[in-house]
Amino acid sequence: MTVLGREILRAMLVLAAALAVGFIVTALVSHEPLKAYRALLTGALPEFARGADGGWAVRRVTRMGAVLEEAITLTFVGLAVAIPFQARQFSIGADGQVFLGALAAAAVSLAIGGPPFVVIPAACLAAMTAGFLWGLVPGLLKARFDANEIVTTLMLNIVAVQIYRLVIMDLMNDPAAGFLTTPALPLPSVLQVMIARTNVTAMLLWAPVAAFAAWLLMRRTTLGFEIRLMGENPLFAARAGVPIIRTTVLSIALGGVFAGLAGFHISNALLKRLPVDLNPGIGFSGIVVALIARNNPLAVPFAALAYAYLQVGAQVMERTSDVSREMVLILQALIVLFVASDRFGPRLHAFRRTRPFRRRAA
Amino acid sequence: MTVPLVEFRDVSKLYPNGTLANDGVSFTLQAGEIHAIVGENGAGKSTVMKLLYGLERPSGGMVLLDGVPAELRHPRDAIAAGIGLVAQHLSLVPSFTAAENIVLGHEPLHRGLVDQSRAIAESLALARRFGLEIDPQAHVADLSLGMRQRIEILKTLYRGARLLLLDEPTAVLTPQEIDGLFLAIRRLVAGGITVVIITHKLSEVKAISDRVTVLRAGRVTGTAPTRELDEAAIAEMMVGRSLMPPPNRSTGPRGRTLVEADRLSFVNGQGSVRLRDASFHIAAGEILGIAGVEGNGQNSLARILSGIADPCAGEARIHGHAFTGRGVRHARRLGVAAVSEDRLHDAAAAAFSIADNLIATDYFKPPQSRLGFLRPGAIATKAQEVIQRFSVRAASSAVRMGALSGGNMQKLILARELAGEPAFLIASQPTRGVDIGAARFLRGELLALRDRGGAILLISADLEEILALSDRIAVLFKGEITAEFEAGTADERELGLYMTGLQRRPAVVA
Repeated sequence: MTVLGREILRAMLVLAAALAVGFIVTALVSHEPLKAYRALLTGALPEFARGADGGWAVRRVTRMGAVLEEAITLTFVGLAVAIPFQARQFSIGADGQVFLGALAAAAVSLAIGGPPFVVIPAACLAAMTAGFLWGLVPGLLKARFDANEIVTTLMLNIVAVQIYRLVIMDLMNDPAAGFLTTPALPLPSVLQVMIARTNVTAMLLWAPVAAFAAWLLMRRTTLGFEIRLMGENPLFAARAGVPIIRTTVLSIALGGVFAGLAGFHISNALLKRLPVDLNPGIGFSGIVVALIARNNPLAVPFAALAYAYLQVGAQVMERTSDVSREMVLILQALIVLFVASDRFGPRLHAFRRTRPFRRRAA
Repeated sequence: MTVPLVEFRDVSKLYPNGTLANDGVSFTLQAGEIHAIVGENGAGKSTVMKLLYGLERPSGGMVLLDGVPAELRHPRDAIAAGIGLVAQHLSLVPSFTAAENIVLGHEPLHRGLVDQSRAIAESLALARRFGLEIDPQAHVADLSLGMRQRIEILKTLYRGARLLLLDEPTAVLTPQEIDGLFLAIRRLVAGGITVVIITHKLSEVKAISDRVTVLRAGRVTGTAPTRELDEAAIAEMMVGRSLMPPPNRSTGPRGRTLVEADRLSFVNGQGSVRLRDASFHIAAGEILGIAGVEGNGQNSLARILSGIADPCAGEARIHGHAFTGRGVRHARRLGVAAVSEDRLHDAAAAAFSIADNLIATDYFKPPQSRLGFLRPGAIATKAQEVIQRFSVRAASSAVRMGALSGGNMQKLILARELAGEPAFLIASQPTRGVDIGAARFLRGELLALRDRGGAILLISADLEEILALSDRIAVLFKGEITAEFEAGTADERELGLYMTGLQRRPAVVA
């Protein structure tokens, strides 16, 4: 079995095991666990029904749309987490990078006019730059003061969210709206919808491209080699002459570029205006996605799709059964637990072909 | 014939990864003998030890104790059966006293508290019984390695061991300490203990053991009274071919001085001095061997010279250009390369392929990369060349580094460091833990580099290796260079005196 095949099998086992344990928990709290689980597992699917006029109609397209919209966001955020993780930098600062990326995209969209082919790339670039710059901060703090990146990125998330709120309330507030929000983004800056009744845009195509670009960066560039080498054995990387400080800083900042793209997607494709009370937390979903994908950029879109599917299913479950959406938080935690248990599942080496040479045991 | 204390009857051990570490191993241990188990690395010696100590369970055959089949599922069972293991890496609590370490886990109690005076008395009585003098109240942290090993032996005896397993007990000892250990082993045997000693040093086999069992590739290739075999015969049983004579020193004239270290000093984070005013010079085409008991500053010296650590004072120059304290890249650019002492710790990335390991120091140079992009084709070609030139046993350059044996891994590490044709190579423990065949190959490569005009600093705990390869030898003791010899002017015994600080003389500064 190939490595990829093994990883896919493992990811599916992890999800299945988490769902199975989740079902036990559901059965304990619900009077209708089967119905709830059916909603969770199939709720996100569109429905094909014969209409009154005898033709076929597709119903619940919005649900499938919601899955794709969420999967796009999660792909970008998953990549934003996977890159520093490969360098063994446990950055959990994707949230802050997403917020500032969205803010930058919205600000540029509102500030400059012009046709879509000018304003959209400009907004996108602004979002990526914002994510990159915000990602530089924890890297520099670590390089200069040896500040633990887990602590700094967590704290910087709060700073970023507050900057976001401050800017929207004081500088970008639309007094005409009934709530605290920016004005609606001008039409040329908003991405075209590809599937009717959804917010699925060209980002659906760009997300896999981004995953491929991340893969190219990690596997085919010297910088990616440095990042991976540092993650695999930092002492060896130092001995080999890898510029440790530059690699540390860039690994988090490059993750920020992808988080910035997630922000751009949220701002210019999904919401089309930024409310002050945008919910933080997407960064943590990104961590789960990166974990399922084992930090492999090419696997991230699939992990994101599976995770988004479950999230939308959970919303359906909440609406149609007596189980609350918090159940999904439990599932999320279960997934993290199972993924983190490295040795969970059948012994992977059992799948491995016998090596052509002996491994020394003594 | 009496019932043997231990009998291995056709024992096999197949690890889940497919490694057949023991393949139908049969031998006996007679009560009261000193039995040496020898073999190359990977021959299955440690597996025999683990099976006997209950750390692993056999996948075939049986182990008999006193003629009765035994199930050793856990070290608990082995200890209960009177088997004690002194592992290669000692497991003592440094801040405890000798007596506290000896009774650890089986402390004599007095009203629920450890009875210190009884612990001391019992340790002392045990030590006297076997003639292994110790100071029971000394803290282990203050004791020499030889003394610590003695405490570890007493610890197993305190738990009632009548069969003592010693795994590579001489690896970290000076020649003088080795003599002490052998004396202690004889006293133990006189006191009724049976001793199994695992080693790959043939001179020790001859010096201490009554009988020897030789393993090769998981099989017993011979078991015989030691006096009936000479070293060459044992070596042939170990490697399956006769040993070639050791490589010779260079006889030609040496080049001019290439590397100069000028009063290098280093104080570690805890404030203890690891290196004090170390000065030496190495000419082109010369190997300077650093002899010394491990932990006397070798590690700091190697780290400073390779650029990973900055000296607190002093500097080293190559071709007259200072290269210390300026980072690894700077040193490497000036032609400095380093083989560090612990392969998996900081010399290789186990999860990376062979090819990726080989480019780790020069991935940013063409042809491995261009404009920041790696070129997998060129990398694989280069790796394939190295695999062939160094006759590494691996299916392809895509094989994971961690899947290789120690010898093959070390070949690749040396190959990587030699690839840039370094002017100066720091080789720390270049053949540690590799089999005889690989060790000979690696030494040959070092000598070849020297003959091509390279300067080499050879740091090794293996005195034989230092003596065989070096053109000059410096002794490092407590961070200072306490003596310097031309090759051939000092033997192991004399070096041992300097290594233990019993003698010193100022370094000869040219």
